[in-house]
Amino acid sequence: MAHMTNPLATPDQLFQRRSLGALPMELQDIIFFSTQCLTQAAGLLLQLPQSVTAQANVLLARYWLVESMMAHEFSDVSAATLYLVAKLSSHPVSPRDVAYIYTYLLSSSSAFFHDPSSRPPPPPPPPFGSESTTTATASSFSSDKSNTPYLSPSGYQAFHARLLRLEGLVLAALGFDTHVALPHPLAVTYLQALDFFSFRRDGSKEAGRRALAARAVAYLNAALLSPQALYLTHQPPALAVAAMYSAARDVGAKMPECEWWEVFDVDREELGFLVVGMRSVEGWGRKMRKDMKEAMRGRERGMLTRKDVEGELRRRGLVAGDEVGNGSKMAVVDAAEEEAARRLDEKMAEMASAA
Amino acid sequence: MASKPKSRWADDEADAALEAQRKKEKEEKKRLKAEKARKLEAERKAREAAAASTSQQAGDDPDRGPPAKRRRLSPERDNHDGDDHGDDDHRDDDNEAPRAHAPSSETTAADPSNLLRFEGGTFGRSRSVENYDKLNDIEEGTYGWVSRAKDVATGQVVALKRLKMDPKDRSGVPVTGLREIQILKDCNHGNVVKLLEVVVGDDASKVDSIFLVLEFLEHDLKSILEDMPSPFLASEVKTLLRQLASGLAYLHDHFILHRDLKTSNLLLNNRGRLKIADFGMARYVSDPPPANLTPLVVTLWYRAPELLLGETRYGAAVDMWSVGCVFGELLTREPLLQGRNEVDQLARVFELCGTPSDDAWPGFRRLPHARGLKLPRGPPRRRSAPRSPSSPPPARPCSARSSPSTRPAAPPPARCSSTTTFARTRGPSPRPCSRPSRARPARSGGDGGRPPRRRRAARR
Repeated sequence: MAHMTNPLATPDQLFQRRSLGALPMELQDIIFFSTQCLTQAAGLLLQLPQSVTAQANVLLARYWLVESMMAHEFSDVSAATLYLVAKLSSHPVSPRDVAYIYTYLLSSSSAFFHDPSSRPPPPPPPPFGSESTTTATASSFSSDKSNTPYLSPSGYQAFHARLLRLEGLVLAALGFDTHVALPHPLAVTYLQALDFFSFRRDGSKEAGRRALAARAVAYLNAALLSPQALYLTHQPPALAVAAMYSAARDVGAKMPECEWWEVFDVDREELGFLVVGMRSVEGWGRKMRKDMKEAMRGRERGMLTRKDVEGELRRRGLVAGDEVGNGSKMAVVDAAEEEAARRLDEKMAEMASAA
Repeated sequence: MASKPKSRWADDEADAALEAQRKKEKEEKKRLKAEKARKLEAERKAREAAAASTSQQAGDDPDRGPPAKRRRLSPERDNHDGDDHGDDDHRDDDNEAPRAHAPSSETTAADPSNLLRFEGGTFGRSRSVENYDKLNDIEEGTYGWVSRAKDVATGQVVALKRLKMDPKDRSGVPVTGLREIQILKDCNHGNVVKLLEVVVGDDASKVDSIFLVLEFLEHDLKSILEDMPSPFLASEVKTLLRQLASGLAYLHDHFILHRDLKTSNLLLNNRGRLKIADFGMARYVSDPPPANLTPLVVTLWYRAPELLLGETRYGAAVDMWSVGCVFGELLTREPLLQGRNEVDQLARVFELCGTPSDDAWPGFRRLPHARGLKLPRGPPRRRSAPRSPSSPPPARPCSARSSPSTRPAAPPPARCSSTTTFARTRGPSPRPCSRPSRARPARSGGDGGRPPRRRRAARR
């Protein structure tokens, strides 16, 4: 049964997300949304199958129910979960590839969260060494000076150290349970069971059937980004059925007249809740993108960082004590690691020049 | 999801109300029997109606508690299909609508649908290893150290297996360890060792030591075989092999290849129950098997010929070969095929099973390492198969067939356990425990003082 069940969040875990001392909910939502999108983007660029990236999304959502969001840089957590899931899958990626992809995505030249309305799309990366002039808006970006994403050896060392440390922390926080059952294959199987893929000679409705499956999978993928964390509160069969229900509505497919969802062990109540949840993701995501731009204060692309959130908190006069305190303590550790890596670099350079 | 308990609650209320009603009726009975019968009948009908149209009555009756679950039927939904374009407001309307129509749906609502609930458990932070008291070291294996420990809170004795983490390893937590954890977590079978939990070192800022908490078993087959003055009886071999086959069938049914079966990885407790342990090489596979598996698995003496020939697309048959080797070893107390290296091992396999021919094993010549192979000409010769000293009929393990396709799968022996082949289904024999010459005394050494001569648990 393992391929149909997931460990779910306990009511306590869900409640603590909203309890006193936690980040304001709308900030949590923005962080959740942007980080999940970042994982998706990185998964695409690393050429990982969606089955791997989606599992990383789910693990990340679980992790943030156990550990405070501000404990680590968001992009690092995203990278660590993606690296971990890929390692366990049949598509492992090297830490170096992960480092390059995330450096690119976090740089000012990335197309990630680029807002097409405000600015022409970023030009393709200029040839190596040339200076670009479009970096004015990225002045607050500390990680790179030029528009060309560049990962220094020390930068890589530091990233690598953070990646492996976070990998361990994520595993420990999840009790080393990395099992994720995705609803996507179930949705396809269920559609088959309802005879939506049966071969027809004329092929007339072929396109419609394909659209139905595509739409259902799209709902499932969108639900990964929802801070309602549907994947943490419902089992895969329910998610699959809700996605099929919504998709059938969208493409006007004729579903059985009876309560067909009960065949797949989903009751009406649960189905209704999930359908509402899944259908709201699109409009909500649009709003998130707008909010995020505000949170990043005019920076038009790139990724929300912990510093942005701390700044936003300060602006609101809400310096939540332990969250931020914890965060900055971790930041000290990160800084120490970077310092050590830089020293190593200098040493290497010395040795190189001596030789 | 919350609706199920709700409706049950509503039913309880209805029942309680009915009970009160019945008592009143009893007093009335003295006065008017005929009326009582009629009234009871009416009451019963009322209750049925109450149970049926739950939401309606719940709304009217103040002591009835929260409104019961609403149910909706597809006819209502279909009415709304046309105008619903997917935003939330429409959905809400849609949800409200059937309430008004609910009476029409009484019959279906009355019988509670019997839906399967999926239980996946929860997730949460790993505990610290400080929750366990170490008693003594057991052994060091390829992938980790094993020691015996006691749970501080419950006093339960467990085996702690520490994952080897190489700080120089640039890829972080070893993937074999993670696979082992995941597979053991997913397994639940009487002949597969249980993973109780995973605990970590005390340092909160980083995870540098990971411990698997496994159930503790007193012995492993290898050391028992070494210490036994006389081999197992046929019946004992039978019960051991039956347990091994049943555990392995479970694994294969769940798409898990063990890939390192050998006597030292088969644990035995004092009650004679055998459990498969050490999943450091195990992995999930698909069916048909994926094409890029590494052939460098399984300890050499237990390695199947197709692995020796470099096959990268192998399946459950490699585990069955190992089972055959274990079978032979149980009979003779010596490993069946003790090759010095891969080539020698292959030669010994062919000596035992005969040289493969294209008929018996189609396509074996196309395997990567088969090209340079010089096979003896002439009719295949066979070494005499191992025999059980206590049972005259020759017991050549049929799982030791060189061709993987004709090797039996694990399930048959396990599934026919209730029929003739393995008729003895009484469970593990307690016999090794009762004869000290066969197995170590149950509690030799004790917990304090000198560590017991050889305690084994999860690894080697």
